[in-house]
Amino acid sequence: MNIRTAYSVKTDIQEAVQDIQTQLSDFEPRLIIFFASSSIAPDEIADRMEAAFPRAETFGCSTAGEIVTGKMLTDSLVAMAFNRQAIKNSKVEVLDDLNRESHRAFNAFERHFDKPMSKMDPKQYLGIILIDGLCGKEERIMDRIGDFTNVNFIGGSAGDDLKFQSTHVYANGKSYTNAAVLAILEPNTEFTFIKTQSFSPLQKKLLVTKADETKREILEFDQKPAALAYAEALGTSIEDAPKHFMHNPVGIVYEGEPFVRSPQRIKGNSIKFYCGVKEGIELTLLESTDIIASTKEALDRVRAELGDISGIINFNCILRTLELREKGLTESYGALFSDFPTVGFSTYGEQFIGHINQTATMLVFR
Amino acid sequence: MAGKIKEMIDALVSQRAQGNSVLEGVVKIKLILKGIDPKNYSPDSPDDPAIIAKLEELMREFK
Repeated sequence: MNIRTAYSVKTDIQEAVQDIQTQLSDFEPRLIIFFASSSIAPDEIADRMEAAFPRAETFGCSTAGEIVTGKMLTDSLVAMAFNRQAIKNSKVEVLDDLNRESHRAFNAFERHFDKPMSKMDPKQYLGIILIDGLCGKEERIMDRIGDFTNVNFIGGSAGDDLKFQSTHVYANGKSYTNAAVLAILEPNTEFTFIKTQSFSPLQKKLLVTKADETKREILEFDQKPAALAYAEALGTSIEDAPKHFMHNPVGIVYEGEPFVRSPQRIKGNSIKFYCGVKEGIELTLLESTDIIASTKEALDRVRAELGDISGIINFNCILRTLELREKGLTESYGALFSDFPTVGFSTYGEQFIGHINQTATMLVFR
Repeated sequence: MAGKIKEMIDALVSQRAQGNSVLEGVVKIKLILKGIDPKNYSPDSPDDPAIIAKLEELMREFK
């Protein structure tokens, strides 16, 4: 196997890293991605993971729950290791200040791969993004990445177990906040992506006529106060509308495929979202479906397409995880990944093409 | 004047996707997320200078 996973539930950081090291002792990784519970000290885990695997590039982030082959975990450390047969070439870069635009990472990728980002073949290369989950800048970063390249970037916003105090991304021995880690990989094997959100579009449309994108607020739908228009669309009152947020978010729907925007709370007459939306965009009201069934369907489809799966990285929205926890379905969800080497985490936002909510985005290797 | 935005969107999609239908979809989704929904523009759509400037910048950047 050229892709291996390991996990540890040891509470001492040194022991947890040693545990991972022991599980991978007969393996020579060139690249390791890891996800660590927010109970694990950020600077120390970044440093120790790099020290434990000096011949590999290491990167990762803090979480709101971890995923590993067959299991959903909490308070753990999970890792996926790739050897040289799995990954031909890779480069990890950090956008270390999301308040300013910088081309440094893109320039570094271009130098490393010796070609412009715009000329990189999306069938040959893929991108991973891990970003501070409290920065509120995911839309802009994904937008700018998408301007420069056709390479698909997939990833998640780091979590902190619902404390909403501080989330961290890690790269090559260091921990960062207000930052994003970008990695470009050139795998030796075929790969594909899953975006599954367990929602189906309803008939009702809502046109964004006034929004404050930077604050992730929609002020008006169809020239009406957003809270009122959303409540009317659902046939409920403004007071009861928040009860519908989890099961009836809205989405940009392109050819039947929703890109979910999840309402967070009502703020005056407006609605604050977990994701920014531009004025002039038509949103569709969505209705939740079965997370287990739709995830299984997505995995079955990809297994049929690829024939075999050697690894999955799963960026699963914390709101999905909360629903799974509430319904006692975390074991069933974990079990969906029993047959595939898997790592992942519960995210504060998901990335694929853009920044999205209430979705699982997955990178799948053949 | 009218129709320039649709022309530019078509040119941008073509420049980036090079005839690949999957990439065409991705480019269109990226435009929608930027607030430029291709289906809202036809040969009769007025030439909004702000949208035109944004599309020109996008074409310039993807080199």
